[in-house]
Amino acid sequence: MNAAAEEVFSSEEKDILQEVMNIAFGQATAELAEVIDIFVILSVPNIKVVKGRDLPGYFINEMDGSSVVNLIEQNFLGKFSGQAMLIFPSGAEKELIKLFNQENAEGTYDVDIDTLEQETLIEVGNILIGACIGKITELLSDFVTYDPPRLVVQDLAESSPSHFPVDEDSFAISIRTVFRFEQQNVEGYLFLITKQRSIKWLKKALQSFLESFM
Amino acid sequence: MLKSLLIVDDSPVARMIIKKCLPAEHGLQIYEAGNGQEGVEQYRTHNPDLTLMDLTMPIMNGFEAVEHIRGLDPEAVIIVSTADIQEKVIQRVKDLGALYTMKKPPSKKSLTEALERGAEAFAQVQK
Repeated sequence: MNAAAEEVFSSEEKDILQEVMNIAFGQATAELAEVIDIFVILSVPNIKVVKGRDLPGYFINEMDGSSVVNLIEQNFLGKFSGQAMLIFPSGAEKELIKLFNQENAEGTYDVDIDTLEQETLIEVGNILIGACIGKITELLSDFVTYDPPRLVVQDLAESSPSHFPVDEDSFAISIRTVFRFEQQNVEGYLFLITKQRSIKWLKKALQSFLESFM
Repeated sequence: MLKSLLIVDDSPVARMIIKKCLPAEHGLQIYEAGNGQEGVEQYRTHNPDLTLMDLTMPIMNGFEAVEHIRGLDPEAVIIVSTADIQEKVIQRVKDLGALYTMKKPPSKKSLTEALERGAEAFAQVQK
Protein backbone atom coordinates (compact mmCIF):
# COMPACT_ATOMS: atom_id res chain seq x y z
CA MET A 1 0.00 0.00 0.00
CA ASN A 2 1.03 3.61 -0.49
CA ALA A 3 1.80 6.50 1.87
CA ALA A 4 -1.76 7.88 1.84
CA ALA A 5 -2.98 4.54 3.14
CA GLU A 6 -0.93 5.13 6.28
CA GLU A 7 -3.29 8.00 7.12
CA VAL A 8 -6.37 5.83 6.83
CA PHE A 9 -5.49 2.29 7.94
CA SER A 10 -3.33 0.83 10.65
CA SER A 11 -0.75 -1.72 9.64
CA GLU A 12 -2.94 -4.58 10.90
CA GLU A 13 -6.01 -3.25 9.05
CA LYS A 14 -4.03 -3.02 5.82
CA ASP A 15 -2.92 -6.65 6.17
CA ILE A 16 -6.47 -7.85 6.87
CA LEU A 17 -7.88 -5.83 3.95
CA GLN A 18 -5.25 -7.31 1.64
CA GLU A 19 -6.10 -10.85 2.72
CA VAL A 20 -9.87 -10.26 2.40
CA MET A 21 -9.27 -9.02 -1.15
CA ASN A 22 -6.99 -11.98 -1.94
CA ILE A 23 -9.68 -14.42 -0.84
CA ALA A 24 -12.56 -12.52 -2.44
CA PHE A 25 -10.87 -12.14 -5.80
CA GLY A 26 -9.67 -15.74 -5.75
CA GLN A 27 -13.13 -17.10 -5.03
CA ALA A 28 -14.67 -14.77 -7.60
CA THR A 29 -12.20 -16.04 -10.20
CA ALA A 30 -13.20 -19.63 -9.53
CA GLU A 31 -16.91 -18.83 -9.79
CA LEU A 32 -16.40 -16.78 -12.90
CA ALA A 33 -14.46 -19.56 -14.59
CA GLU A 34 -17.33 -21.92 -13.82
CA VAL A 35 -19.95 -19.56 -15.25
CA ILE A 36 -18.14 -18.78 -18.49
CA ASP A 37 -16.12 -22.01 -18.70
CA ILE A 38 -12.91 -20.11 -19.37
CA PHE A 39 -9.70 -20.25 -17.37
CA VAL A 40 -9.21 -16.84 -15.76
CA ILE A 41 -6.00 -15.63 -14.14
CA LEU A 42 -6.10 -12.75 -11.66
CA SER A 43 -3.12 -10.84 -10.32
CA VAL A 44 -2.55 -10.18 -6.60
CA PRO A 45 -4.95 -7.31 -5.79
CA ASN A 46 -3.12 -4.05 -5.30
CA ILE A 47 -4.70 -1.70 -2.77
CA LYS A 48 -4.02 2.01 -2.72
CA VAL A 49 -5.56 5.04 -1.08
CA VAL A 50 -5.82 7.92 -3.54
CA LYS A 51 -7.03 11.52 -3.23
CA GLY A 52 -10.15 12.17 -5.32
CA ARG A 53 -8.42 14.82 -7.38
CA ASP A 54 -5.64 12.40 -8.32
CA LEU A 55 -7.86 9.62 -9.64
CA PRO A 56 -7.72 10.31 -13.43
CA GLY A 57 -3.91 10.44 -13.48
CA TYR A 58 -3.76 7.45 -11.17
CA PHE A 59 -5.83 5.34 -13.58
CA ILE A 60 -3.66 6.20 -16.58
CA ASN A 61 -0.53 5.42 -14.60
CA GLU A 62 -1.91 2.09 -13.39
CA MET A 63 -2.86 1.13 -16.94
CA ASP A 64 0.66 1.54 -18.28
CA GLY A 65 -0.22 4.79 -20.05
CA SER A 66 -3.25 3.65 -22.10
CA SER A 67 -5.77 6.44 -21.90
CA VAL A 68 -8.47 5.61 -24.48
CA VAL A 69 -10.49 2.86 -22.89
CA ASN A 70 -13.78 1.03 -22.66
CA LEU A 71 -14.95 1.61 -19.14
CA ILE A 72 -17.81 -0.34 -17.59
CA GLU A 73 -18.94 1.30 -14.40
CA GLN A 74 -21.39 0.07 -11.83
CA ASN A 75 -22.38 1.53 -8.49
CA PHE A 76 -22.79 -0.74 -5.51
CA LEU A 77 -24.77 0.31 -2.47
CA GLY A 78 -24.61 -1.06 1.05
CA LYS A 79 -22.56 -0.40 4.14
CA PHE A 80 -19.71 -0.93 1.69
CA SER A 81 -20.63 1.49 -1.11
CA GLY A 82 -18.80 2.79 -4.09
CA GLN A 83 -18.18 2.39 -7.76
CA ALA A 84 -16.64 -0.53 -9.61
CA MET A 85 -14.82 0.27 -12.81
CA LEU A 86 -13.78 -2.41 -15.23
CA ILE A 87 -11.42 -1.00 -17.83
CA PHE A 88 -10.36 -2.61 -21.09
CA PRO A 89 -7.91 -0.96 -23.44
CA SER A 90 -9.59 0.11 -26.67
CA GLY A 91 -9.82 -2.83 -29.09
CA ALA A 92 -10.18 -5.53 -26.43
CA GLU A 93 -13.91 -5.80 -27.20
CA LYS A 94 -13.16 -7.68 -30.44
CA GLU A 95 -11.13 -10.32 -28.59
CA LEU A 96 -13.84 -10.63 -25.94
CA ILE A 97 -16.48 -11.35 -28.58
CA LYS A 98 -14.36 -14.25 -29.88
CA LEU A 99 -13.99 -15.51 -26.33
CA PHE A 100 -17.69 -15.43 -25.51
CA ASN A 101 -18.99 -16.56 -28.88
CA GLN A 102 -16.71 -19.50 -29.58
CA GLU A 103 -19.44 -21.50 -31.27
CA ASN A 104 -19.79 -18.60 -33.69
CA ALA A 105 -16.12 -18.03 -34.38
CA GLU A 106 -16.77 -17.35 -38.04
CA GLY A 107 -18.11 -13.98 -37.01
CA THR A 108 -21.63 -13.89 -38.44
CA TYR A 109 -24.03 -12.36 -36.00
CA ASP A 110 -27.73 -11.54 -35.87
CA VAL A 111 -27.14 -8.05 -34.48
CA ASP A 112 -24.77 -5.37 -35.70
CA ILE A 113 -21.22 -5.68 -34.47
CA ASP A 114 -21.19 -2.42 -32.51
CA THR A 115 -24.19 -3.50 -30.48
CA LEU A 116 -22.68 -6.93 -29.89
CA GLU A 117 -19.39 -5.41 -28.76
CA GLN A 118 -21.17 -3.12 -26.31
CA GLU A 119 -23.38 -5.88 -24.96
CA THR A 120 -20.42 -8.21 -24.55
CA LEU A 121 -18.46 -5.59 -22.60
CA ILE A 122 -21.42 -4.85 -20.34
CA GLU A 123 -22.06 -8.53 -19.68
CA VAL A 124 -18.41 -9.23 -18.88
CA GLY A 125 -18.50 -6.25 -16.54
CA ASN A 126 -21.67 -7.41 -14.88
CA ILE A 127 -20.28 -10.90 -14.21
CA LEU A 128 -16.83 -9.82 -13.05
CA ILE A 129 -17.95 -6.93 -10.88
CA GLY A 130 -20.78 -8.92 -9.33
CA ALA A 131 -18.50 -11.86 -8.53
CA CYS A 132 -15.81 -9.71 -6.90
CA ILE A 133 -18.06 -7.34 -4.94
CA GLY A 134 -20.31 -10.22 -3.93
CA LYS A 135 -17.40 -12.13 -2.40
CA ILE A 136 -16.01 -9.10 -0.57
CA THR A 137 -19.36 -8.27 0.99
CA GLU A 138 -20.01 -11.92 1.85
CA LEU A 139 -16.69 -12.16 3.70
CA LEU A 140 -17.45 -8.92 5.54
CA SER A 141 -21.08 -9.84 6.29
CA ASP A 142 -22.60 -7.02 4.26
CA PHE A 143 -25.23 -7.01 1.55
CA VAL A 144 -25.14 -4.69 -1.44
CA THR A 145 -27.45 -3.78 -4.27
CA TYR A 146 -26.26 -2.64 -7.68
CA ASP A 147 -27.20 -0.04 -10.23
CA PRO A 148 -27.18 -1.37 -13.79
CA PRO A 149 -23.71 -1.32 -15.40
CA ARG A 150 -22.96 1.45 -17.90
CA LEU A 151 -20.48 1.40 -20.74
CA VAL A 152 -18.49 4.54 -21.38
CA VAL A 153 -15.88 4.87 -24.09
CA GLN A 154 -13.58 7.41 -22.62
CA ASP A 155 -10.25 9.13 -22.88
CA LEU A 156 -9.03 9.07 -19.30
CA ALA A 157 -6.61 11.89 -20.03
CA GLU A 158 -9.60 14.17 -20.58
CA SER A 159 -11.73 12.98 -17.66
CA SER A 160 -12.14 15.26 -14.70
CA PRO A 161 -12.05 14.23 -11.05
CA SER A 162 -15.76 15.15 -10.82
CA HIS A 163 -16.53 12.10 -12.93
CA PHE A 164 -15.70 9.89 -9.96
CA PRO A 165 -17.93 9.41 -6.90
CA VAL A 166 -15.43 10.89 -4.49
CA ASP A 167 -14.93 14.49 -3.37
CA GLU A 168 -11.71 15.92 -4.73
CA ASP A 169 -10.29 16.30 -1.24
CA SER A 170 -11.53 12.95 0.06
CA PHE A 171 -9.70 9.68 -0.07
CA ALA A 172 -10.79 6.78 -2.20
CA ILE A 173 -9.67 3.21 -1.66
CA SER A 174 -8.65 1.76 -4.97
CA ILE A 175 -8.39 -1.99 -5.31
CA ARG A 176 -6.88 -2.94 -8.62
CA THR A 177 -6.45 -6.36 -10.15
CA VAL A 178 -5.38 -7.36 -13.63
CA PHE A 179 -7.20 -10.36 -15.04
CA ARG A 180 -6.28 -12.39 -18.06
CA PHE A 181 -8.22 -14.97 -20.02
CA GLU A 182 -5.95 -17.85 -20.91
CA GLN A 183 -7.46 -18.60 -24.33
CA GLN A 184 -7.26 -15.02 -25.57
CA ASN A 185 -4.73 -12.34 -24.98
CA VAL A 186 -7.13 -9.98 -23.24
CA GLU A 187 -6.21 -8.07 -20.15
CA GLY A 188 -8.54 -5.89 -18.16
CA TYR A 189 -8.28 -3.85 -15.01
CA LEU A 190 -10.78 -3.82 -12.22
CA PHE A 191 -10.85 -0.89 -9.82
CA LEU A 192 -13.17 -0.64 -6.85
CA ILE A 193 -13.47 2.89 -5.57
CA THR A 194 -15.11 3.15 -2.20
CA LYS A 195 -16.25 6.31 -0.55
CA GLN A 196 -14.78 7.75 2.59
CA ARG A 197 -18.00 7.16 4.49
CA SER A 198 -17.54 3.41 3.96
CA ILE A 199 -14.11 3.44 5.54
CA LYS A 200 -15.37 3.62 9.14
CA TRP A 201 -17.61 0.62 8.55
CA LEU A 202 -14.86 -1.19 6.67
CA LYS A 203 -12.42 -0.85 9.57
CA LYS A 204 -14.94 -2.46 11.95
CA ALA A 205 -15.81 -5.19 9.45
CA LEU A 206 -12.13 -6.06 9.01
CA GLN A 207 -11.70 -6.53 12.75
CA SER A 208 -14.83 -8.72 12.88
CA PHE A 209 -13.48 -10.82 10.02
CA LEU A 210 -10.26 -11.47 11.91
CA GLU A 211 -12.04 -12.15 15.21
CA SER A 212 -14.15 -14.83 13.50
CA PHE A 213 -11.02 -17.02 13.40
CA MET A 214 -10.13 -16.53 17.08
CA MET B 1 3.33 -38.15 12.88
CA LEU B 2 4.12 -34.68 11.61
CA LYS B 3 6.80 -32.72 13.40
CA SER B 4 7.14 -29.63 11.23
CA LEU B 5 5.00 -27.41 9.02
CA LEU B 6 6.03 -24.75 6.51
CA ILE B 7 3.40 -22.08 5.75
CA VAL B 8 4.03 -20.17 2.52
CA ASP B 9 1.74 -17.18 2.04
CA ASP B 10 2.41 -13.55 1.19
CA SER B 11 -0.24 -12.38 3.63
CA PRO B 12 0.79 -12.24 7.31
CA VAL B 13 -2.92 -12.34 8.17
CA ALA B 14 -3.40 -15.55 6.17
CA ARG B 15 -0.45 -17.13 7.99
CA MET B 16 -1.87 -15.99 11.33
CA ILE B 17 -5.33 -17.42 10.48
CA ILE B 18 -3.77 -20.77 9.59
CA LYS B 19 -1.90 -20.86 12.90
CA LYS B 20 -5.08 -19.93 14.81
CA CYS B 21 -7.02 -22.72 13.08
CA LEU B 22 -4.48 -25.42 13.90
CA PRO B 23 -5.63 -27.92 16.52
CA ALA B 24 -4.66 -27.01 20.08
CA GLU B 25 -1.39 -28.57 21.24
CA HIS B 26 -0.42 -29.53 17.70
CA GLY B 27 3.24 -29.63 18.75
CA LEU B 28 4.48 -28.69 15.28
CA GLN B 29 7.61 -26.72 14.62
CA ILE B 30 6.29 -23.98 12.33
CA TYR B 31 8.28 -22.17 9.65
CA GLU B 32 6.91 -19.30 7.58
CA ALA B 33 7.69 -17.78 4.19
CA GLY B 34 6.25 -14.66 2.51
CA ASN B 35 6.50 -15.74 -1.13
CA GLY B 36 7.30 -18.78 -3.24
CA GLN B 37 11.00 -18.06 -3.47
CA GLU B 38 11.34 -17.76 0.30
CA GLY B 39 9.27 -20.92 0.57
CA VAL B 40 11.74 -22.85 -1.58
CA GLU B 41 14.63 -21.52 0.52
CA GLN B 42 12.88 -22.42 3.77
CA TYR B 43 12.12 -25.87 2.42
CA ARG B 44 15.76 -26.36 1.46
CA THR B 45 16.91 -25.25 4.93
CA HIS B 46 14.36 -27.01 7.16
CA ASN B 47 13.01 -29.90 5.07
CA PRO B 48 9.54 -29.69 6.74
CA ASP B 49 7.24 -32.70 6.92
CA LEU B 50 4.32 -30.76 5.42
CA THR B 51 4.07 -27.54 3.41
CA LEU B 52 0.95 -25.39 3.05
CA MET B 53 1.31 -23.31 -0.10
CA ASP B 54 -0.64 -20.26 -1.28
CA LEU B 55 -0.80 -19.77 -5.06
CA THR B 56 -1.14 -16.07 -5.82
CA MET B 57 2.02 -14.49 -4.49
CA PRO B 58 4.54 -11.91 -5.69
CA ILE B 59 8.12 -12.75 -6.73
CA MET B 60 7.40 -16.46 -7.18
CA ASN B 61 3.88 -17.86 -7.29
CA GLY B 62 2.74 -21.10 -5.70
CA PHE B 63 2.73 -23.10 -8.95
CA GLU B 64 6.40 -22.36 -9.49
CA ALA B 65 7.25 -22.94 -5.84
CA VAL B 66 5.55 -26.37 -5.81
CA GLU B 67 7.49 -27.27 -8.97
CA HIS B 68 10.80 -26.11 -7.45
CA ILE B 69 10.24 -27.91 -4.16
CA ARG B 70 9.18 -31.14 -5.85
CA GLY B 71 12.30 -30.78 -8.01
CA LEU B 72 14.43 -30.58 -4.85
CA ASP B 73 12.51 -33.36 -3.12
CA PRO B 74 10.15 -35.50 -5.23
CA GLU B 75 8.56 -36.82 -2.03
CA ALA B 76 7.76 -33.41 -0.54
CA VAL B 77 4.23 -33.34 0.89
CA ILE B 78 2.56 -30.10 -0.20
CA ILE B 79 -1.04 -28.99 0.23
CA VAL B 80 -2.11 -25.95 -1.77
CA SER B 81 -4.24 -23.40 0.07
CA THR B 82 -6.12 -21.04 -2.23
CA ALA B 83 -9.42 -19.26 -2.73
CA ASP B 84 -9.16 -19.84 -6.47
CA ILE B 85 -10.45 -23.38 -6.85
CA GLN B 86 -10.97 -23.50 -10.60
CA GLU B 87 -10.87 -27.07 -11.91
CA LYS B 88 -7.85 -26.23 -14.03
CA VAL B 89 -6.05 -24.84 -11.00
CA ILE B 90 -6.77 -27.99 -9.00
CA GLN B 91 -5.59 -30.17 -11.88
CA ARG B 92 -2.47 -28.10 -12.46
CA VAL B 93 -1.29 -28.28 -8.85
CA LYS B 94 -2.05 -32.00 -8.79
CA ASP B 95 0.02 -32.48 -11.94
CA LEU B 96 2.85 -30.62 -10.23
CA GLY B 97 2.73 -33.12 -7.37
CA ALA B 98 0.73 -31.36 -4.66
CA LEU B 99 -1.39 -33.64 -2.47
CA TYR B 100 -4.62 -31.67 -2.85
CA THR B 101 -6.12 -28.18 -2.82
CA MET B 102 -7.65 -26.73 0.35
CA LYS B 103 -10.11 -23.86 0.00
CA LYS B 104 -9.40 -20.47 1.60
CA PRO B 105 -10.25 -19.16 4.10
CA PRO B 106 -9.38 -22.21 6.19
CA SER B 107 -11.31 -23.44 9.20
CA LYS B 108 -10.33 -25.59 12.18
CA LYS B 109 -11.99 -28.51 10.38
CA SER B 110 -10.17 -28.01 7.09
CA LEU B 111 -6.81 -27.56 8.85
CA THR B 112 -7.35 -30.70 10.93
CA GLU B 113 -8.11 -32.60 7.73
CA ALA B 114 -5.00 -31.12 6.08
CA LEU B 115 -2.81 -32.31 8.96
CA GLU B 116 -4.37 -35.78 8.89
CA ARG B 117 -4.01 -36.20 5.14
CA GLY B 118 -0.55 -34.66 5.26
CA ALA B 119 0.49 -37.09 8.02
CA GLU B 120 -0.80 -40.07 6.00
CA ALA B 121 1.09 -38.98 2.91
CA PHE B 122 4.23 -38.28 4.93
CA ALA B 123 4.06 -41.73 6.55
CA GLN B 124 3.76 -43.31 3.10
CA VAL B 125 6.90 -41.65 1.79
CA GLN B 126 8.81 -42.61 4.95
CA LYS B 127 8.22 -46.33 4.30
